[in-house]
Amino acid sequence: MSEKSRGPVYVERMSILFRIQHLLLMISLLVLAITGFALMYYENALAQVLIRLEGGVLYRGIIHRSAAVFLMAQLVYHAFYMLISREGKRELKEIWLTRRDFDDFLQAMRYNLGMGNEYPRFGKYGYKEKFQYWGATAGVFLISVTGMILWAETFSMRFLPKFVLDLTLIIHGYQGLLIFVILLFWHLYIVHLHPSVFPMNWAWLTGKVDAEWIREEHPLEYEKLKGEGVL
Amino acid sequence: MRGKFFAAWVIVVLGICAQGLSSPAEAGISLEKCTLCHGKPEFRKILVDGQIRDLFATEDSLKGSVHEKKACVDCHFDVSEIPHRQRPKRVACTHCHYKGNAEGAPQSDAYLEYFGSVHGVAIAKGNTKAPLCQDCHGSHNIRKAKDPASAVSHGNVAETCGRCHIKIYAKYKTSIHGVAVSKGIVDAPSCTGCHGEHKIYGHLDPKSSVYATHVAEQCSTCHGSVTIMSKFGIETEQVATYKNSFHGVAGQFGSRTVANCASCHGVHDIRPPEDPLSMVNPKNVPATCGKCHPGANPNFAVGKMHVDSHKKESGIIYYTALFFKYLTIATMLALIVHIFLDMYGRTRRLRGEK
Repeated sequence: MSEKSRGPVYVERMSILFRIQHLLLMISLLVLAITGFALMYYENALAQVLIRLEGGVLYRGIIHRSAAVFLMAQLVYHAFYMLISREGKRELKEIWLTRRDFDDFLQAMRYNLGMGNEYPRFGKYGYKEKFQYWGATAGVFLISVTGMILWAETFSMRFLPKFVLDLTLIIHGYQGLLIFVILLFWHLYIVHLHPSVFPMNWAWLTGKVDAEWIREEHPLEYEKLKGEGVL
Repeated sequence: MRGKFFAAWVIVVLGICAQGLSSPAEAGISLEKCTLCHGKPEFRKILVDGQIRDLFATEDSLKGSVHEKKACVDCHFDVSEIPHRQRPKRVACTHCHYKGNAEGAPQSDAYLEYFGSVHGVAIAKGNTKAPLCQDCHGSHNIRKAKDPASAVSHGNVAETCGRCHIKIYAKYKTSIHGVAVSKGIVDAPSCTGCHGEHKIYGHLDPKSSVYATHVAEQCSTCHGSVTIMSKFGIETEQVATYKNSFHGVAGQFGSRTVANCASCHGVHDIRPPEDPLSMVNPKNVPATCGKCHPGANPNFAVGKMHVDSHKKESGIIYYTALFFKYLTIATMLALIVHIFLDMYGRTRRLRGEK
């Protein structure tokens, strides 16, 4: 019996716990972006509407910091989950950055520019997913550091002079902008605009993906699943 | 026809005569009669509380004032016989000073603002210490505000206000603005420059020009003007840098607890930063910031206060902002290029497979 005659077969890509983590991450990042950019670009008419909607600068700040605490809690939880749980350990192994990913990236670029003959074959997570995961993790960690320096401004200034705080404020804003830019032009591309998933990869809601899609985009994972007898 | 004309003529003549007859009767009390008593320098009254009320007034009292040509009873119109049995009422300036008055007194409704002001309301509530017109403008020696000898002139108004607001006057007099005014610098603000003239409100009243959320705007009327500030070599960028600062933005969105100009620079005791008594002197900065940020230390004074990240003078802050600006643009471009390359490669891959 050929595979195609069986109709689409779905494989789990995101467990329910990861889907919940992803949803919470999405909500807190959106809240942080809306409250943060409203202040950063306060002269903009839309920003002024947003600040008023958020209840003025005082409540904007409270919402922003609440969402930030929530995000940092998620980061800590996620770190422990990835290091301790069985599922987390397995996923961490899959998403761990290796030399191979940089080679894959360069090979993909060569191929895309017409200088190579073969496009790299990816496992469960290709360089696109891995770079995004580690980029976002590092970004959230770094922006938390500058955020906390600014939050506890009087305590921070026991150790840091005033101009470092001014600097921190600038860096914090640009960090947010960078994370936003990466989400917009990287994440939005790989899970929404990429022709293989357009309009979106539904895995974040259903947790499942088409086995055919895995075969095309993540061939090594497909072979592994075949070998394990899942498919 | 002729009869009618004659009748009209008689009426007009009679009218003129009647006026001529009546005016000496109205202004029946001449200056000479008043000065019979009031012209004696020792003419005074000892009040119940022991204070002495000087009642000395001669023809010189009005000399040089705007009311030079007026007679005593023009204002003290309740005096109809000499000697008057009762103490004349306090002069009501509004008797003449209202819009459209027949006397030809300056027509302005500006004084109407007084009734809603902190002083006017206090009077209405029965506070006898609150000032009426004559308490600031003077009683007999009223001069135009432009006249340097006037009690409300630019150079004198602080002293006039200071008669009641003694402590504030003492602080103001040695402040940068007070010193400048005493040197005759007309651009420097006296009390009325910030508080307004007739429409003075308490600083906790949202209508006040010096209410917490209005202070920055009030200061920037002068400190935001290059024309005025260039005369004294003072930067005007402080207005914009404050506006863009954390404090400034919060203030613009209505926060009343956030620092405004006066929170750091002082209110009546504003002094230049070089002055050791200035609140923004580096030595005093920890104490000044400490009012809102408990535990503020000398680190608060390390670095420029009014920073503009778009200006080269800001040094490391300028270069960091510049670096991040280009980093963001470069990242954005790199990602867009990546998207297009990836799509292009994929199309080729699909074609190759087919």
